[in-house]
Amino acid sequence: MGTSAFDAVIPVICVTLAGLVVLLAESFRKKQERMPLGGLALIGLIGAVIACVLLWDRNATSFGMVTADNYALFVNLIILTVGILTVVFSQHTVERDGLPAGEYYALLLFAIVGMMLMVQATDLLLVFLALETMSIAVYVLTGIRFNDARGTEAAFKYFLLGAFASAFLLYGIAFLFGVTGTTSLDGIGTVVAAQSMSGNPMILAAIALLIVGFGFKVGVVPFHQWSPDAYEGAPALVTGFMSTGVKAAAMAAFARIFLSSLEPMITDWAPVLWGVAAITMILGTVVGVAQTNLKRMLAYSSIAHAGYLLVGIVAGNEVGKAAILFYLAAYALTNVAGFAIIGLLGTKAAPNDDLRDYAGLWHTHPALAGLMTIVLLSLGGFPPTAGFIAKWYIFSAAVGSGYYWLAIIGFLSSVVSVFFYLRIVVMMFMTERDARPVPLPVAASAMAGLAVTVAAILYLGILPSRVIDLAAASISTVF
Amino acid sequence: MLYAVLAGFAGAGIAPLAHRALGRASGWVLAAIPLALTLYFASFLPAVSAGEVIRWSRAWVPSLGVVLSFELDGLGLIFALLISGIGTLIVVYAGGYLAGDPKLGRLYALLLAFMASMLGLVLSANLILLFVFWELTSITSYLLIGHKHESEKARKAALQALLVTVTGGLALLAGLLLLGIAGDSFDLPLLVARRDLIAAHPLYPAIVLLVAAGAFTKSAQMPLHFWLPGAMEAPTPVSAYLHSATMVKAGVFLLARLAPLLAGSVLWYGLLVGFGTLTMVVSAFLATQQTDLKRVLAYTTVSALGTLTMLIGLGTPAALKAAVVLVGAHALYKAALFMVAGIVDHKTGTRDILRLSGLRTALPITTVGAGLAALSAGGLVPFSGFLAKETTYAALIEFPWLLAASVLANAFGMLVALVVGWRIFTGESQVIPDDPGPVPVALWQGPLLLGIAGLLLGVFGWMGEGIVAHAASDMAGQRVPVKLALWQGFEFEALLALGLSVFTLLLGLAFYKAHGLLLRLATSLDWLYQRGPYRLFDLGLAAFVSLAKWQTQILQHGYLRYYILTVVVTLLPIGVLLAAPGSPVWPVTFGPVGLFETALVAVVLASTAFVMSTDSRMAAVAGLGGVGYGVALLYLSYGAPDLALTQFAIETLSVVIFVLVLYRLPEFRVLTTRAQRLRDAVIATSAGAVMTLLVLAAQSQSGASRVSGFFAEQSVPAAMGRNVVNVILVDFRSLDTLGEVVVLVVAALGVFALLKLRPEGEAH
Amino acid sequence: MDTLLAVLIGALYAAGLYLMMRRSIVRLIFGLVILGHAVNLLIFAAGRLTRAHPPIVPEGAAALVPPYADPLPQALILTAIVIGFGLQAFALVLFRQAHRVSGAEDLDAMRTTDSH
Repeated sequence: MGTSAFDAVIPVICVTLAGLVVLLAESFRKKQERMPLGGLALIGLIGAVIACVLLWDRNATSFGMVTADNYALFVNLIILTVGILTVVFSQHTVERDGLPAGEYYALLLFAIVGMMLMVQATDLLLVFLALETMSIAVYVLTGIRFNDARGTEAAFKYFLLGAFASAFLLYGIAFLFGVTGTTSLDGIGTVVAAQSMSGNPMILAAIALLIVGFGFKVGVVPFHQWSPDAYEGAPALVTGFMSTGVKAAAMAAFARIFLSSLEPMITDWAPVLWGVAAITMILGTVVGVAQTNLKRMLAYSSIAHAGYLLVGIVAGNEVGKAAILFYLAAYALTNVAGFAIIGLLGTKAAPNDDLRDYAGLWHTHPALAGLMTIVLLSLGGFPPTAGFIAKWYIFSAAVGSGYYWLAIIGFLSSVVSVFFYLRIVVMMFMTERDARPVPLPVAASAMAGLAVTVAAILYLGILPSRVIDLAAASISTVF
Repeated sequence: MLYAVLAGFAGAGIAPLAHRALGRASGWVLAAIPLALTLYFASFLPAVSAGEVIRWSRAWVPSLGVVLSFELDGLGLIFALLISGIGTLIVVYAGGYLAGDPKLGRLYALLLAFMASMLGLVLSANLILLFVFWELTSITSYLLIGHKHESEKARKAALQALLVTVTGGLALLAGLLLLGIAGDSFDLPLLVARRDLIAAHPLYPAIVLLVAAGAFTKSAQMPLHFWLPGAMEAPTPVSAYLHSATMVKAGVFLLARLAPLLAGSVLWYGLLVGFGTLTMVVSAFLATQQTDLKRVLAYTTVSALGTLTMLIGLGTPAALKAAVVLVGAHALYKAALFMVAGIVDHKTGTRDILRLSGLRTALPITTVGAGLAALSAGGLVPFSGFLAKETTYAALIEFPWLLAASVLANAFGMLVALVVGWRIFTGESQVIPDDPGPVPVALWQGPLLLGIAGLLLGVFGWMGEGIVAHAASDMAGQRVPVKLALWQGFEFEALLALGLSVFTLLLGLAFYKAHGLLLRLATSLDWLYQRGPYRLFDLGLAAFVSLAKWQTQILQHGYLRYYILTVVVTLLPIGVLLAAPGSPVWPVTFGPVGLFETALVAVVLASTAFVMSTDSRMAAVAGLGGVGYGVALLYLSYGAPDLALTQFAIETLSVVIFVLVLYRLPEFRVLTTRAQRLRDAVIATSAGAVMTLLVLAAQSQSGASRVSGFFAEQSVPAAMGRNVVNVILVDFRSLDTLGEVVVLVVAALGVFALLKLRPEGEAH
Repeated sequence: MDTLLAVLIGALYAAGLYLMMRRSIVRLIFGLVILGHAVNLLIFAAGRLTRAHPPIVPEGAAALVPPYADPLPQALILTAIVIGFGLQAFALVLFRQAHRVSGAEDLDAMRTTDSH
């Protein structure tokens, strides 16, 4: 493979092309004709995966504002995996709920394009554009069950708050530009490092605005309020997709900006993020306890997880950076699987996503209940699952940087979170088999996908070395 | 050694399949796995008795300092033998007990997985590895407890058991983490070598507290004991395995393992001895207050665990020796008695000791097993229970108060032994309704074999001296001489201990006579028992859930506008930062003001005010257009013709779209109260003021773009364009523009998708 | 003059935010539009303001002749304007859809996701 100016964007191009092909195919589709649109999407995503693997260690850049360093590739692989899994699980749901297949897959792919670009961008303006691409696609996906009042409402709220938040990000970028005179991350880094900017109100305001903008997308307190509504209103698979993909992309860009360009100002922003991380972990778990709807419960859980991820940024050391990557991988796999199970158990008539609907699942669907148990254990951070290693890794980063209290808060909130994860487990395993209608049989492809995902969760929990080493190697090229 | 542990998990994997293939005989066949493990561990007996420690290690997650390392020493071997040996009998027993249950295959799998986790726990030589297995035992045991029961009560009990042990587990994790920090390693042998470093570390008290919390929850020390009797809802094979020999001993094992690192401080001593003694006495008494056979046994188990904790806390060589002997003896007789309780339940359909009598005719072989186990539990010659009691007394001679407490607890234990091993089997034979027929071998083999083992180990106790000595030495960190014989000679301590044994026996008999009285006491003390820690825990949990619900209502009210409000208010502090004296905002100067610009600003402001005040949508849209055109003219006057043109075009389009969409919708209504509007106005104005300050601050900075110089110079030579803005868009930063196009495409796709699909009912 | 512009931006922000806190959904969208203008003007003001010198290289010159308006913020704003338009169109259609499905015009009626 020779090098060209386009190398760094090849993965993105693969996904974009797939999106366009899906759209074309959809527009030529006759009514009632079935088309393997999901298959087309998969081809594009797998192509992108291959491209990412081939680009590994090459540090390609394109147009001076897109990079394909290992950091970006690592996160992109996570995002692509999330995408592939979502497509695999979707086939069943799209047919069942009568969703518009063409638009659904195309939007999914465009959202992935936005996510990938966001991770690869080395220019704030491109970060903003990528974020918008991703966001709009996800807004539509949230409300893709057009006849569902909840979905539409969720989409509406998500959109309005999201647009509001994007505006903040844009102000932040504008101010940063105003102070440093550039939107390139390297350029900003040079200026910030060269001049003593600490305490400069302009740049502090810019940082605050950036935190608000990214905080929204990542879903940290107090900018989290859209997420439970959006997560509950969206179809479960879309929720799985956006709770992982959006979070991974936003987190990766967040970390890239704060830990490389704005790294010289760490003493200014770390205390703020410390507070945000602490309150996010606490609130996410405590409020999660009150929930009886599974999607909502997992929404709060993912808020708490955003808090844990922030701990990695606050720690700011080598371990912390690598831990963010590992945590993202573990979290993404786990959450996608969790929401996929919720989605698979629903029917067109009823979402079946209340805690009560899980009563006795172990007796009616032992396989799904078993898989769900592992997923929940991973979310709760139990060994031998990925979640345990991830939490361990991120907290040891915090301890390594001397943030004992943050580690303790994280730790205590994990203790509390155990309550709501285990409550589901209890519900599934021991409860009277009531007369609820047994949900539809689950598609074999989805089941296989789930099994593979859960196997990966256990792999990351039992033999995490390879991935940890990869994560550690990925960050060495960036920061 | 890893393979030994993995074998258990592999067995768990194949168990359901094996069960399906083999049917009724599956229990006997699957028992081969734990049996093989028992033999495997037994083969190490000579070496370990001779003082060898077998080690095995592999790198696991080197970057996190986690090594897969196992170690088989005296302590580990004793536990490993108990776990795999009793496991063998339990698997067979479960096959008989739950014969015909469709979920039996799953139960086998869980039992074997639990066994493997326990083995991993007792063999780990790395703290993290130990914790991993610790949590595995919590989870598998939970699934075992919840195997069969479907009642609300059982579910509550299971959730409680799980929450308590899991919370304890997390405390333990924190303790182990700190221990790792203090000792700079997670390797157990290495840490033992650094014990002085750890003892002097400022984190030491926290470590001890956290580790003790973990151990106490698992080993059901008061006041965290309440989950164990609740967990008696589990099927009996599970209780017999988990709650006699294995899981509950994990906490004790942990204390024993970490004793060489942590013992030697007042804190350690006080915690363990204090809580251990309290648990030992109080739960022994509580055992006499129960009428359910399994709950009686559960409380005596808690009492034994208290004794063990106390002995480990004392830490004298004699105490540690007693602890080792007690672990072994207790496991044997308690597992047997639980199995007996299961058989009785199976046969008669009840576990109420008041309704059971004369079972010796119906259950002849079980009676023998129960008798043997009860004699050991009562601490009679020549059973292993006797050895345990003797060594315990001998160890406590220096501590008269503890000795008295121990005698009292043992006397209560004696009473229970009499009830379980004598009372229900003797007396008038009862008529058994729905008799399921003779008890199969699979069921009675367990108590019988364990009873005999308890006898043999008592008689031939000297054979175990080597291994007990090493186990005790591992804990003490020094050589502990061990002599295990029924007759200890004419020394003072030995004679005193023997005398106390006799006294205990008599006291126990006296209590037995007074059992009716004790049970009547139970009814009158019922109000107190209803308010025990169990209830407190429940109340605490309920309070926590309501707190969470209350918080949710406050924070997650669903009002979008308050979400926006939250964010805006969060940002106001920036304004304080900017308005502070010394910020670059000051002094504010008004430069020359052009008439044209002033007029434009006035137009924009007036249009905005109109948008805000009008009641008509269409009028508001017109006002919005006014704002847009005004802004466009402002761009024009500040040297940005491109912006102005774009803004004009877009604004026109917007107005058209607004009119199209809003045309058929109703007029505005005023929906908020005056106070709300005032509040919002104040907040919005403050936010606006912050923004003004921000702009002023931005302008005070040397705002010149660093890259613009480049564009200014390169525009013509590199891109052949004279309009620098255009050149930037289509050439230098064309990727941005492409991105912009993509955003628009996606937005258009969204619009299209929304418009294409009409709600049902409107489709035609 | 710069100060006047700063005040205008502040006023637009205040108006936009106030509208976004209304219960009426249409007002909310209006608020979003006004906020959009405010953002654009803010970016504009953050660059150097130079009256009436568009960044166009005069005929015969090889580079811009100072003083000229900073071209980069202008490029940024162009992007923002276009994206803002896309968002606005989408918002309207989404609103129409929401109105059709749930009949809601009052934002406070949209609380079904918080039924707990």
